[in-house]
Amino acid sequence: MNETSDALLLSLIKNPASKDKGFLQLMDAYKRPLYWHIRRLVVSHEDAEDILQETFINVYRFADSFKGESKVFTWLYRIATNECTKHFRKNKNWLKNAELITDQMIGNISGSDSDNSEAMLVKFQQSILKLPDKQRMVFNLRYYDELSYEEIGQILDSSVNTLKTNYHYASEKIKQYLIEHAS
Amino acid sequence: MEPTDEFRDFGKKLPYQEPAGFFEQLSKKTLQQAKLREQNRRKSLVLWRTVAFAASLSVLAMLGYYMFEPEKPVTSQIVQEQQPVEPPQLKNQAIIKQPEVAEKKKVAPEKVLEKIDEKEINTEDIGDVLADLSDEELSQLAAMYKADPFISESEQ
Repeated sequence: MNETSDALLLSLIKNPASKDKGFLQLMDAYKRPLYWHIRRLVVSHEDAEDILQETFINVYRFADSFKGESKVFTWLYRIATNECTKHFRKNKNWLKNAELITDQMIGNISGSDSDNSEAMLVKFQQSILKLPDKQRMVFNLRYYDELSYEEIGQILDSSVNTLKTNYHYASEKIKQYLIEHAS
Repeated sequence: MEPTDEFRDFGKKLPYQEPAGFFEQLSKKTLQQAKLREQNRRKSLVLWRTVAFAASLSVLAMLGYYMFEPEKPVTSQIVQEQQPVEPPQLKNQAIIKQPEVAEKKKVAPEKVLEKIDEKEINTEDIGDVLADLSDEELSQLAAMYKADPFISESEQ
């Protein structure tokens, strides 16, 4: 999605006559990347669905207040990430639930004929889940969404240097975890 | 070296999957939810504004009532309420006066002579009055004195 089409979608949303049409188009463009961004953070599909809905409801409500100072997708990621942070604050047991889900996945993998790469994927996810919230967000946005540090800075409201440090610590911890849990 | 290169072996694949048909239904469902929330928000906003308006009106009315209320005349009720206050004052006076009476009683023997003198002064006054009367008036007075049954009885 380029900036011109984003601007067009926003102008559609800001116009009461075409608000619903613009909103549906914006959702179609961003629902998948946002869902996966959220899902990587909260693991559970049900939680990810709720947070994604809440994100787009906020977009529908506050679209008029978006001044276009940042890109539309960084604005959307910012709303989604804030909703995830709220979710972490509300549900302190979320990590336990996430670990249960990953344990279940490991169980499914070992019970099936799948190759070793899937088990490695789950371990990789487990190592990411063990990271502190901020490091996990930075790692996911950089590794999976391939955003620049400047864009991540707009989403997480942090400086580039801080984000680079966070990413460095995160990748070191992941490597350490994978070495310790290699079988 | 790109920072993401060090985990190249793992790729971007995730061990999770979304339920089938999830993304197809999501957009319309979310739009419905957003519209519903917007309606509820507007309703509650209207309700809050109405409540706030009504509350401010009632406060203004109360303020106006207390600020511009005319002074009420003293009614009989107020007088009645004031009356019961008086007896305790009388009682207090009586209580206060009691020692005076006692003092008077104590002082009474000393004042007896003064009272007698006053009586004498009074009799002298009557004598003066009688002296000024004519013979006819005196005889009429004597007749009246004799005709009065109470005076004559008390003397007998």
